[in-house]
Amino acid sequence: MAAASASTFVPPRQRRRLRRRLTDGLGWTVSTVAFLLLGAATISIFWAIAARGAHALHLAIFTQVTQGTAGGLLNAIEGTLLLAVGGLLLAIPPGMAAGIFLAEFGASRFAPVLRFMSDVLVGLPSIVVGYFVYIVAVVDLGWGFSALAGAIALAIISLPYITRTSEMAFRQVPADMRDAARALGATDGHVILRICLPIAASSVLTGVLLALAISVGETAPLLYTAGWSNYTWNGHLTHEPVGYLTYAIWAFITEPFQSAHALAYAAALLVSAFVLVISIASRMLMAASRRHSR
Amino acid sequence: MPDLDFRAAVTRARPAAQPAAEPAEAVATREVNFYYGSRQVLFDITLTAPEREILALIGPSGCGKSTFLRTLNRMNDTIPNTRLTGVVRVEGEDIYAPGADPIALRRRVGLIFQRSNPFPFSIRDNVAYGLKVNGLAKRKADRDAAVERSLQLAGLWDEVKDRLDTPAHALSGGQQQRLCIARALAIEPRILLMDEPASALDPIATSRIEELALELKTRYTIIIVTHNLQQAARISDRTAFFLSGRLVETAPTQQLFTNPGRKETEDYLTGRFG
Ligand SMILES: Nc1ncnc2c1ncn2[C@@H]1O[C@H](COP(=O)(O)OP(=O)(O)OP(=O)(O)O)[C@@H](O)[C@H]1O
Ligand SMILES: [Mg+2]
Repeated sequence: MAAASASTFVPPRQRRRLRRRLTDGLGWTVSTVAFLLLGAATISIFWAIAARGAHALHLAIFTQVTQGTAGGLLNAIEGTLLLAVGGLLLAIPPGMAAGIFLAEFGASRFAPVLRFMSDVLVGLPSIVVGYFVYIVAVVDLGWGFSALAGAIALAIISLPYITRTSEMAFRQVPADMRDAARALGATDGHVILRICLPIAASSVLTGVLLALAISVGETAPLLYTAGWSNYTWNGHLTHEPVGYLTYAIWAFITEPFQSAHALAYAAALLVSAFVLVISIASRMLMAASRRHSR
Repeated sequence: MPDLDFRAAVTRARPAAQPAAEPAEAVATREVNFYYGSRQVLFDITLTAPEREILALIGPSGCGKSTFLRTLNRMNDTIPNTRLTGVVRVEGEDIYAPGADPIALRRRVGLIFQRSNPFPFSIRDNVAYGLKVNGLAKRKADRDAAVERSLQLAGLWDEVKDRLDTPAHALSGGQQQRLCIARALAIEPRILLMDEPASALDPIATSRIEELALELKTRYTIIIVTHNLQQAARISDRTAFFLSGRLVETAPTQQLFTNPGRKETEDYLTGRFG
């Protein structure tokens, strides 16, 4: 305000300098506040989870299965890994194929349709995906709550992330690499599989890790599809519900027993630690691939 | 007896007389026009590159040298909305005839780019890439032999033989460009196209590339685009001068540089424009 009223007296260049200093200051303030807020939120979340979880985390969590609202979380740890990895295995082939198609044949008539569908899928609430898989797989196909139904729900949720990162990764392959390959008599297929794929692999893997982190943390779509089980997996893909960590958080935190709370805290700590580790791994991967490409 | 002597003399004379005859054409174009979309950038280019000679293409920036070079291995096909009319023959074969295979053509006509572009693989895998995609030298021993031979030809073997499995990007700029030449030579092309292969290199690396081109001339036909007139004068047998998408003149290098037939050529060579 002071700057505005004084402006009639200030020569234009100085006025510009004043305005620049003001916007500079504003920018600094906003980014500092944002940084502090974000930092405070992250740290306090991890603090709260770690403080409670650390008490609850004893060896039995990893060696015993859940008994009612007590026992361990072996069944849930195993189920979470099973569902997340299964979901990825289902999502990677079509997701990468769609991403490669969008990157390499983006001018095709189908490309906008595919991209639109992928965008819709990103925005779709995960509980709606769970509901859809429940109707189709659990009820209509009669699979019941099962590993396969849960993995399919997670695959649908991961699909657009894998598509997007694959597309980006393939687009980032420098044009002169493709030209060099073509000039040596490479076909389109060779260019995609033997040049772009190796060059893009680490970026694609970053996207896969992101999808893995999302899958590990998903709850809603699994409630309808995987169900819950106190037992470790017996190898059946259908007709056999599986446990998972986020269920333990969701269901046990509202139970009126100390043992149930302990399980919920331990599960929350495990999920968070897992997501943190995956994030750090993908960061390291990105840094390594950047160093490599230079 | 004198009769026999005479015949022997004729037989002896025959090989010596051959170079005087018209050398075979490696590449010949007739009235080539080329368009990016609706914009025409090459006009009626009729040009011949004799076998085992170095043909230099010179001319101001944007006159169409690279575009012309890329019509010779159909690399322009990879750019959407381009069109070519006219005839391009490579070793007598019309490469734009319906049914002609651009992939097979590119095996015979190698291309070296202005900026070296090794793949982010090991030195060995770079040189072996063309062999792999073309299904050549499938046995490892054959492939290793081809890698060594190509690196030898490119004058790089002694510098890299102890580190074939290290990343190509660790090489110097000049070494990377020679690696790209080795990579192109591995699939035994007949013709080598070079688009300003030394423009990003220092004088020493440049002279290595020039020596290499002169050595390779004994086996390959080379067509080289260059901005460096001294370079064209040093290494080429014939020079073609392009201006605004047209071929102004083509002549033996010596003749073109000392006694150009056209005024535009003389203006360009004396630096009056361009
Ligand atoms: N991919 C492309 N799309 C559209 N126009 C292009 C494309 N590539 C080149 N051109 C145009 O075609 C003309 C000839 O370009 P070209 O690269 O063949 O020239 P050049 O003689 O090789 O130039 P330089 O010496 O600068 O490399 C230029 O006017 C250029 O703008
Ligand atoms: Mg050029």
